[in-house]
Amino acid sequence: MSSELTDYVTLVSSDGFSFVVQRSCACISGAIKRMLDPAYGFTESRTNTCRFENMSGAVLEKVCEYFYYKEKYQDAKDAPDMDFPLELALELLIAADYLDV
Amino acid sequence: MASLAGRGRAKIRAPRRGLNGADVDFETTWAVLEQAFNEIHTKNASALSFEALYRNAYKIVLKKKGEELYNKVANFEANWLGNEVRTRIVRQLTHSLLTLTEGSSPSLAGSVERKVAGESFLRTLKQAWEDHQICMGMLTDVLMYMDRVYCTDHRQPSIYAKAMGLFRDQILRSPARQGSPDLINILTSVILDQIQMGRDGEDIDQYLIKSNVFMLEGLYESDQEAEDEKLYLQLFEPVFLAASAVFYRQEGERLLKESDAGTYCKEAKRRIVEETDRCRSTLSESTTPKIQAVVEDELIRNKMKGLIETESGVKYMVDNDKFYELGLVFELEARVDARKPELTKAMQQIIVDMGTQINDAAVAVSQAPPPAPLAAEDGEQDKSRPNATKQINQQTVAALKWVEDILALKARFDNIWKTAFASDQTVSTALTRSMSDVINTFSRGSEYISLFIDENMKKGIKDKTEAEIDDTLEQAIITLRYLQDKDIFETYYKKHLCKRLLLKKSVSIEVEKQMISRMKIELGNSFTLKLEAMFKDMTLSEELTAGYRDYAVKTSGADPKRVDLTINVLTAMTWPLEAFRSGGEEEREGRTQINFPGSIERIKTGFEKFYSEKHNGRKLTWQTNMGDADIKATFPRSRNGRPMTHDINCSTYAMLILLLFNDLPADKSLTVEEIQAMTNIPDNDLKRNLQSLAVAPKTRFLVKEPMSREIKPGDKFRYNEDFSSKVIKIKVNVVSAGNRVEGDRERKETEKKNNDSRSFAIEAAVVRIMKQRKQLSHSQLLTETIDQLKAQFKPDVGMIKKRIESLIEREYLERMDDAPVPSYRYLA
Repeated sequence: MSSELTDYVTLVSSDGFSFVVQRSCACISGAIKRMLDPAYGFTESRTNTCRFENMSGAVLEKVCEYFYYKEKYQDAKDAPDMDFPLELALELLIAADYLDV
Repeated sequence: MASLAGRGRAKIRAPRRGLNGADVDFETTWAVLEQAFNEIHTKNASALSFEALYRNAYKIVLKKKGEELYNKVANFEANWLGNEVRTRIVRQLTHSLLTLTEGSSPSLAGSVERKVAGESFLRTLKQAWEDHQICMGMLTDVLMYMDRVYCTDHRQPSIYAKAMGLFRDQILRSPARQGSPDLINILTSVILDQIQMGRDGEDIDQYLIKSNVFMLEGLYESDQEAEDEKLYLQLFEPVFLAASAVFYRQEGERLLKESDAGTYCKEAKRRIVEETDRCRSTLSESTTPKIQAVVEDELIRNKMKGLIETESGVKYMVDNDKFYELGLVFELEARVDARKPELTKAMQQIIVDMGTQINDAAVAVSQAPPPAPLAAEDGEQDKSRPNATKQINQQTVAALKWVEDILALKARFDNIWKTAFASDQTVSTALTRSMSDVINTFSRGSEYISLFIDENMKKGIKDKTEAEIDDTLEQAIITLRYLQDKDIFETYYKKHLCKRLLLKKSVSIEVEKQMISRMKIELGNSFTLKLEAMFKDMTLSEELTAGYRDYAVKTSGADPKRVDLTINVLTAMTWPLEAFRSGGEEEREGRTQINFPGSIERIKTGFEKFYSEKHNGRKLTWQTNMGDADIKATFPRSRNGRPMTHDINCSTYAMLILLLFNDLPADKSLTVEEIQAMTNIPDNDLKRNLQSLAVAPKTRFLVKEPMSREIKPGDKFRYNEDFSSKVIKIKVNVVSAGNRVEGDRERKETEKKNNDSRSFAIEAAVVRIMKQRKQLSHSQLLTETIDQLKAQFKPDVGMIKKRIESLIEREYLERMDDAPVPSYRYLA
């Protein structure tokens, strides 16, 4: 029951993998940002943990990687391409749509 | 894209079915959501998982059930607002609030109750609104996916906007009870009522009202949410402005009736500040300019005229030096109109009124009969001085008073302008215009200003410090600045200056020169050219006199008996010598024929010789009527019966007359005719000089027979052996030598001359312009001519036309027949 804003938040995948990421990175996703918004007091915002029943660990890992990639190269001009495994492509697209990134 | 797809065709893993939610049942999922929404609305959200709700909504939308979800949510909200919230609000409505909208005048007795009821109504409404906002915020977040996918795709307003619209429809737009007005109307009238209480000086909960105003600002007329469709702008503001207008109209009328203008201004200013504050603290900033305009319109624009014209209005303020109140009036009117028409008009009127008074007073003084004769005890003898002298002094007094009054008037309004009108430019122009109107409507303005300077040069500055003198000169210049007919002033000034210089009346030549240089700065070179030439003549004459003295000593040796000569050689063009020629035309011939006795004649020819040696080809004309002489005369019984020699200073003519009696036995007498024949002095001058020599009591060197004031043909004169006087130096005043203000005849002459010189000036200007332009339309020529002559005088259009006619006759110009507008061509 921590009410103050922590620097890190935990993202949990459907198969039980936990990813501790910087709050600022996680909030790149519009959905996660709102989930964690303390103003409304949903469970997620009080525990600083988000569970995603529809994402596997592999997908969520890639998502977190993208969060960091995005934050790092936000303003850079010549960002290197990020590597996506092809077999995850479709699932990643769905996840991106779901998370609003 | 093609290559990417091609490369991964075999490898892409099909997503698990669970993700796209094929197995979702709409009803059950909605039930979950509905349950959750209820929790949210009852502020019970902490147990809910955002992700779960979000996922459920997501699933529904993925199943293409977005529209159903959307409608369900909208229904849910409508129900919630319509049932739960509205009943809560309606419960707060008391009878008194309901009747407010009907426009019945609120009774004083119920005001406390009404205030409390109104406040609780506002509070509930505010609470409902804030709750609604928070809940809808949460709902929107949870339904974000729906907003993003369904609403954008189907061009529906976002669920948030939809819910706001529902609030508007379900709460504000619905009647509180059957047959009663909509809640929004009640809200409006409650707020207005509260504001009215605030205006009447009660404390009101500004924050509470502000919250409700926020609500109105956050809601729109339609779901499109266009900026100008805010409920606040659509419904509340117009009503508010109208109510304010009514209030301030009544307030203004009441104030105007009950209090003086000063209080009115204070009150109006306070109200404006108050309304601005109210907008900031209670209503919306965006209303500030509008409500200000309303207050300004009602309290200032529509009342200003009445305010200025009331008994305690601007006139009263000016009369009583109420600078602060004047400042208020100024400030108020400046709010509504940068040109401040009413105030300037009023001020101009006041100046003109006061100025007219001054002008009238000056005329009255100048025409008033001279005060009871001072000389009553002097008896009959004093009456020998003609009344004209007093008349003249009267004029001088009037002139001095006039200039001083005008200056005081100006100083006064300058002060007002500075202290009360923030040195405003437009007001200044208006004041200046009025001042110059005042000065220019006074027909003797030019003369009086010149007279004012004259008087100061002769006497005024005698015992003053330099700073004071500076001040006086500056004042004269100030009035001069307003004067339009500067050429007339020049004529008078020249005349006055001429007399001051020749008769040595000026206190300080230095100051004279200062004055000239000031005029030069103010009016330009050409104006002072002739005046400066006069000074030059004076200096040259001094040198000439000294030169002649040396010359005389050289040629005929030192001779104590020779008559000394001081001479002023004047350039005929620059000196207004006719100022002295009071006798009229006949004098002109008389002047050259005057018979000088030998000793004088010798000097005259001596100087003429000396002068023609120095300057070849110049002709000297002797102005004997302007000269004066120092003579020594001995009277046998002057000092208690013993002989005494006096130094007498008298005019040249008087000297000539006295010299006649030198060669005459003491008991012999001469008639007027004889004197006239021997001296050839013009009739008028002779009479005046004889008057001062034989009639004036202090300088009665001659005895007249019969003894009377008038000089008549046949009167006899003889040497006055019984003359006695205590003083050694005696100055003989020639009667009416100092004609300072002109008589009517003289004035007409001056005017005529002035018109002549103006005609020349106009013709010169026209020719100058046409020579340069070759062709010009009539109207353009007029404007340019007026423009050129502005510095000297304000030309009369009729006069210009006449001059143009005359120039055409003399073939300087010709009319252009083929021009579309009347035009002229210059003929070289």
